[in-house]
Amino acid sequence: MPLKTVKTDTAEALTLEWILHVRNYKLTLDKNLCVGCQICALACPKEAIKLEKQPKIPGEKAKHAKIDIDLEKCNFCAICDILCPYGAIKVTVNGEHLLSVVEKESFPQLIRDIQVDTSKCPVDCVECEEACPLDLIKVTRLTADKKIVEDADSLSEKEKSELQVKIDIQEERCPCCRICEFNCPEGVLTVRKIFHGKINIHAGKCPEGCTDCLDVCPITGALYLSDDKVYVNEMFCVYCGACKIVCPVEEALELKRTMIRHTSVRSGAWNKALERLASPVEMTKELKTKGSLKARESVRKRLGWKGT
Amino acid sequence: MQKESKMEAPRIGVFVCECGSQGSIIDVDDLTRYATTLPNVVYAEHMNYPCSSQGQEEIIDAIKKRRLNRVVVAGCSPRLYEPVFRRCVFRAGLNPFLFEMANIREFSLYCHRNTPEEAAEKAKDLVKMAVAKARLLEPLQPIELPVTKKVMVVGGGIAGISAALDLADMGFKVYLVEKTETIGGHMALLDKTFPTLDCSICIEGPKMVDVGRHPNIDIMSYADVLEVDGYVGNFEVKIRKNPRYIIAANCTGCGECRDACPIEYPNPSDMKLGVRKAISVPFDQAVPLIYTINKDYCIECYKCVDACGARQAINFDQKPEEIEANVGAIVVAIGYEMYNPEDMECYGYGKYENVFTALEFERLILAAGPTGGKVIRASDGQKPHSVAFIQCVGSRDINRYEYCSGFCCMYTLKHAVMLKEKYKDDVEVYVFYNDMRSNFKGYEEFFNRAQKSGVNFIRVNLENRRITEESETKNLMVYAETEDGKPVEAEAEMVVLANAAVPVQNATELAKILKIPIGANRFFVECQPKIRPNETDTPGIFLAGACQGLRDIPYCVAHGSGAAAQAAAILGKSKWIVEPLVARVNEDLCSGCGICESVCSYDAVRIEETAGKKLAKVTEGLCRGCGICGAACPVGAIKMPQYTKEQVVAQVRAVLEEVR
Repeated sequence: MPLKTVKTDTAEALTLEWILHVRNYKLTLDKNLCVGCQICALACPKEAIKLEKQPKIPGEKAKHAKIDIDLEKCNFCAICDILCPYGAIKVTVNGEHLLSVVEKESFPQLIRDIQVDTSKCPVDCVECEEACPLDLIKVTRLTADKKIVEDADSLSEKEKSELQVKIDIQEERCPCCRICEFNCPEGVLTVRKIFHGKINIHAGKCPEGCTDCLDVCPITGALYLSDDKVYVNEMFCVYCGACKIVCPVEEALELKRTMIRHTSVRSGAWNKALERLASPVEMTKELKTKGSLKARESVRKRLGWKGT
Repeated sequence: MQKESKMEAPRIGVFVCECGSQGSIIDVDDLTRYATTLPNVVYAEHMNYPCSSQGQEEIIDAIKKRRLNRVVVAGCSPRLYEPVFRRCVFRAGLNPFLFEMANIREFSLYCHRNTPEEAAEKAKDLVKMAVAKARLLEPLQPIELPVTKKVMVVGGGIAGISAALDLADMGFKVYLVEKTETIGGHMALLDKTFPTLDCSICIEGPKMVDVGRHPNIDIMSYADVLEVDGYVGNFEVKIRKNPRYIIAANCTGCGECRDACPIEYPNPSDMKLGVRKAISVPFDQAVPLIYTINKDYCIECYKCVDACGARQAINFDQKPEEIEANVGAIVVAIGYEMYNPEDMECYGYGKYENVFTALEFERLILAAGPTGGKVIRASDGQKPHSVAFIQCVGSRDINRYEYCSGFCCMYTLKHAVMLKEKYKDDVEVYVFYNDMRSNFKGYEEFFNRAQKSGVNFIRVNLENRRITEESETKNLMVYAETEDGKPVEAEAEMVVLANAAVPVQNATELAKILKIPIGANRFFVECQPKIRPNETDTPGIFLAGACQGLRDIPYCVAHGSGAAAQAAAILGKSKWIVEPLVARVNEDLCSGCGICESVCSYDAVRIEETAGKKLAKVTEGLCRGCGICGAACPVGAIKMPQYTKEQVVAQVRAVLEEVR
């Protein structure tokens, strides 16, 4: 059988496949999870991913951009899979989600730093679950013998006092917006963002009544409307850029990524991705930091120097 | 010892050949008598075989005895025999160009076989014309060309390897230009060779290593031939080495970069059944053993750079490198490709998972192949219990490739025997063939071995064959009809198609660069199909292997050696002698208008300015003596020796004399 390269595009998913006699490479883009942000398209080393802006229908909300992947260019390296903040892309080899670029340390992984201390959770609190804009949190209550409790009211006071709270977060799909953290009344959750940056909306440049950016923003509360103008709440913005893509005016919306939290590796591919996702300046900064760390490390090794 | 014949009055001798049926249709006595009546003819005779040694001795005797200073032979084609008779008159002490041939075989006998009287009349006219021209013949001196003692071999398959090794062993410097990353060609991809079932790479590998280590061979792999100029003995070639992004001198072939590389892509050497890394070699025995980065797939993570470390063999900024070289001869051995049968829907290749081509099967059964030598189906990874081989897919098909690909019958027998020997009674093998072509040494015996090993041979018509797939089992139903029209069918768990071998994609492009003819079927055209199978029409350029016509390994080796011997015949000489039948420019008449330059197909005539005067200059090595420039020159400044205006007009006058 000759090599088969297959691309299937359905309402649910976009699938790319290399079917070889001994291997099967598959990339699946889950359209229900994709928010049409810039990350994968910017990061792709083969420039295989294109964003297609969707036409605006008058009277309807703006739709987020659609992603198209060129089967001719894609090499199934899975960098898009690694970097998608929403976990919308999955690359598998022979059905297994084992990423060679990660295994060979040729590309870093995003750090999703989500700390949960459920010991402080009030038993009947579901604030985080309700606050999550992407429905990634599930709060469950367990009895002392680890049984899930559906209806806490039916329990006795003693049983109630023994209840434990369990918070399940689908981390691989979490862009770390921190909304859960801020809605938690007890400070149970601590979230650090993956992408750091700067976003500005120059309201003066916005077209009259345009809320396209707000329409597509997947993080409720990151953008908000006041006096018919859209404003930013940087506290929650994940700097994914879905808004930037749909903004009809060049300078109305400014978005800059300055830092991406990732595991430490030496990788040219990462440097290039960082250069495109952030800027050459940020890339140079990171290289310098790595360089000075490395220099310090070698000095320490050779001279036994214990400097700060 | 040559006499100056120009000053003497012509004394022409005419020798009429009786060979073959000439005598029975044309009255050679009458023709000879007629010849004696022609002006300046002092002697005429007819003989049985003027081209034989005895015949030539008789001609030499006659020249000496009768003091002949011009010779006409009325016989067959000058293309074949003119050189023979030129040497003959030279041996008699005459300038070899004081000879003329009347082709009474093709022009008279062959085309007027049913009208002997008219044939005889025409023969007389032809002799009369030849005599008229002979009267005006002038002695000419041969042209000597210098010879560069280097050779370029294009294509590093087994034919090219064979040619390169032979030439290098003879002491000539060889540039072996190979398009892919490694030499070895198709043979390096095969598991076994028929009829001995020798391991293919085990017998080719040592040859490849010899090439790699030979001090006289410079392998230029991953390279293309861009330009070829010049002529026999003096070709100027331009070669582009494509960037591997590896510094060849620093690469030790250790493979540590490959192990560090995270990216895989379908390996063309495995027929894309398996994968190779973005930095890798196509197979372990590659020569030269230099890794290559495929930038179409590389993500430039530079893990390879780390792995390579102090060797520093990786250079991502490498640029293509153009190399110019002078060579005296060129051997073309670019091989063949396999036809992709996806467009023949009746076989379901590309549609049904368990239909393979022969070369894919070869990679499946190869121990070093992508499945580790396990023959397994694509649909379920299981070993098939029945395999059907379908012969002549694309070959012997007037709508696709009319020719027989030559080696498919044998490789199918090989595959069938290998399957039977590997899996014994656990596999049923069917071969749907039309004719079994096993016509070389040991091949028919191998066919017998296959029959004895329990392979089922089913002789069917080439038309009306088709394959369908059982949707559940993914088994295949093969339908065909026997020669007397009876339908036959078989269910097989795997089907292997013996797809046609075809000329390589860029053969036409290379033919243009080399200025050699290519056939309608896109195989290169040899000079003469029977007796000059290695030569092209361009002196100094030779053909080796399957690019001239499909042939299997031993015949490619022999053909490669043949081309090497012929190239060596040029390279071994300090001067290469060519016939002086090239355009001559009369500089007093030439106005430098450039019409000649514009009509020349061989770039042989160019206008050059010397001392403020534009003049046409002929590069003798390039000129093929076609005469177009001479005909086009408005002032008659270009003369074609042996076909001068006076000589041609004299011939025309002679033949029209009686009509007038």
